Amino acid sequence: MKGKGLKEYAEDIYTCNRTRCGFCREECPVYHAKLYETYSCRGKMLVGRGLIEETLRPSSEMAEILDRCLLCGLCQARCALHNLDIIASMRSEMVHGGVSTPVHRENVEKILREGYLLEPKAVPEREGKIPLYVGCVYRSKPRELARALTVLERFDIHPLIGEEICCGYIAEATGFREEFEALQERFRKTYRQLGASEILTLCPTCTATLKEKYGLPVKHAIVAVAERLRENRRRAKSLGFRATYHDPCHLGRMSGVFEEPREILRQLDIQLVEMERNRYFSTCCGGGGGVNAVDPDLSVEIAKNRVRDAIDVGVDIITTVCPTCEPTLLRAAGRLAGEVNTFVDVQSLWDLLDKALE
Amino acid sequence: MNKEQIPKAFAELREILGDRATTSTVHRMAYSRDWSPRYREMDDLPDIVVIPNDTQEMVRITKVAYRHEVPLIPFAGGTGMGGGAVAWRGGIMVETKGLNRILEIDEHNMTAAVQSGITIEVLNRELARHKLWLPHQPESKRACTIGASIGCDNDSTFGIRYGKIRDCLLNAVIVTGRAEAIRVGQRKASFSSTGYKLLDLLVASEGTLGTITEATLRVVPLPDVREIRGYVCRRLNDTASGLERLLGSGLAIESAHANCRNRLHFYTHSYREKYGREPQFPEWADAILFLSFAGDKDIVDFNVERATRIMVDEFNAEPVAEQELVEGWWDSKHRLEFIPFKQKWPDSQRQKKFGAADLGLPIGRLEEGYRHYLEIAKKWDQEILGMTIYNESPNMATASISFAVFVDDSSQDRIRQFYQYVREMSEMAIQLDGTMSTYIGDGDRLGGFNQLEHGPGLKYMRRIKRAFDPKNIMNPGKKFQSRWIESPEG
Repeated sequence: MKGKGLKEYAEDIYTCNRTRCGFCREECPVYHAKLYETYSCRGKMLVGRGLIEETLRPSSEMAEILDRCLLCGLCQARCALHNLDIIASMRSEMVHGGVSTPVHRENVEKILREGYLLEPKAVPEREGKIPLYVGCVYRSKPRELARALTVLERFDIHPLIGEEICCGYIAEATGFREEFEALQERFRKTYRQLGASEILTLCPTCTATLKEKYGLPVKHAIVAVAERLRENRRRAKSLGFRATYHDPCHLGRMSGVFEEPREILRQLDIQLVEMERNRYFSTCCGGGGGVNAVDPDLSVEIAKNRVRDAIDVGVDIITTVCPTCEPTLLRAAGRLAGEVNTFVDVQSLWDLLDKALE
Repeated sequence: MNKEQIPKAFAELREILGDRATTSTVHRMAYSRDWSPRYREMDDLPDIVVIPNDTQEMVRITKVAYRHEVPLIPFAGGTGMGGGAVAWRGGIMVETKGLNRILEIDEHNMTAAVQSGITIEVLNRELARHKLWLPHQPESKRACTIGASIGCDNDSTFGIRYGKIRDCLLNAVIVTGRAEAIRVGQRKASFSSTGYKLLDLLVASEGTLGTITEATLRVVPLPDVREIRGYVCRRLNDTASGLERLLGSGLAIESAHANCRNRLHFYTHSYREKYGREPQFPEWADAILFLSFAGDKDIVDFNVERATRIMVDEFNAEPVAEQELVEGWWDSKHRLEFIPFKQKWPDSQRQKKFGAADLGLPIGRLEEGYRHYLEIAKKWDQEILGMTIYNESPNMATASISFAVFVDDSSQDRIRQFYQYVREMSEMAIQLDGTMSTYIGDGDRLGGFNQLEHGPGLKYMRRIKRAFDPKNIMNPGKKFQSRWIESPEG
């Protein structure tokens, strides 16, 4: 599916310019950290107008600002416009203007060349019945992947895992549209057989991409686990501690999976304490949109703010179910511990399930 | 302004602020507008954008501006409708969001001391932990800051019970155009009879006297329960007389908004769109009055019951049966909790822009004002949205009125037509013994023309401006000149 050009969003952009409600601004984690209006969606819409009217031209400085967007979608949840598509289109303008950040180009070229973004490490073969798309991040983390697979198998979910190529999200997100089209083409050829039946996924970002960009019938594996637990297929032992749940953007806001992870936590007898910003209005861990690749310090600052949300409600364990959110939050929790003298642990829901099902 | 001074000023600002000062065109573009009607391609780029974090930094920034005679324009929520926050003459845009700290919440004395760039919503979220709130609540509260509320004297949903920002304001720190930081007001006391009321001068000053960096506010307990009701009335005047009667009876009303028949049709249209059925409004419905009541449940219930009886028995009004319509209106007015990803702009706002003349009229002249509004809007070819009457003084019916239109922003000529509409509406307000503006302010639209309202008083206002800002660096042009409307002398 070819992305629309920026000019095709002119009506949205002018509508924002003339409306300027600012609902997108205050909660934007990047704006919150940077404070220049330009980092908010509303500010970018004025820059977008400059690009459309050609009073502004793509520049490396503009690319730097656009690169700091997490594409977390929080602004769009408050808005009637197509913010994420517009920002992706603006990033595409940077690519066409030859000013995009080199690290993004290198990443995209690597995916085109090798079929994946991160080095895959010993992926266990499985010859079950339900196709499972593992995704680059889990393929690079054999321990975490093994744990998720163990949990699935304990619920009699036997996945079929084969060779994989990257879904191409990062190419689309960073504005490399032609390259994304090529990746899509290759992906479709590789998975010609997919689409007939439901595909399980492990990574929230792959889940949203396969659904939105490829129109595939995907289900995040944690939803399948929640269904099994609901059917009482397997008893889990009580873990009995207090924790909060962080909604990954692509699983929660983008895919609408909010309650299943919480149901699981309750089944494990975990006392769930909600952070003030949760579900649709949860805030990003700081690892989204390729920001970590271009500005790791910003990513950590944003993640620290999310960890502070947990401290604010008096919990010291964050659980989540995303291979990007987990390390990003954990890294920030470690840094923050030195500043506030409180360490907040970050635990994967897969790990908790593994413990509870031992 | 001498543009040659900009690089020198910028070099000094960089010394003070580092990355928090920029001349980047990309950043400047993001500060090129507020919410005021202007033609589609129009923008006002500042030369420099700075983000101070405290009063001392603001003093140092102002010293640079003073030395080089470069304009300083405070920017906050960017939702102002008067062009007050645009760099009409270039200069240094002061992004006040760096001033975003709560300095003290004093529960014992019911006060909150804050830096001026904190938004009203964020402050209230924090106050709620103490079971308190700041009742000054403009509809823009998600973006609007305390400093902007003081500087623009904007509207408040709960004005009929708590007034506007001035009624909550105890003291404030302003960095004047002389680069001096002064605290004005009465510490934590509610009033003072000593000296001149400099604190009052800050309200609606629109950054023309200085930059407000801190404020101390009186806050109040959060109510347990809130109920919203709507009443359709036979005449617009019944909304004002009904309200006066309700207050006279001793009832405690928390918010009151009256709407003309055009607005009524707007709400019925929205209801029809959302629920797929027609609301059961009587044929005679000519206006709608929305009220809210808040406090302990039994008291609120009593207020609702008695208010309904008075409106029905004495004013032949009818309570709105469709409570969803009333709650939907309240969502748009106060809660601002829209369903995620389901927010929708009416098609009209995709093509045109919301604009308004924000007049204040004596409450006995509402219908007269409404008739003129229909005529003047037609004369200047403005599409009528409707009239909403805000009540912004504690415990009395007042009329701060939004005479709203959809503005065609496709060309400069069409925007000029809108400002001709504002001009003629403003003249009408003066003829009816009212005021030109009650919540938008002068901005870059009424300055100079407002001599019609203030007469020789405007000369004294210029002198006050000079006392605070001798080099005319603080938001120059605003309040005393208009780029849209000619002054009475031409």
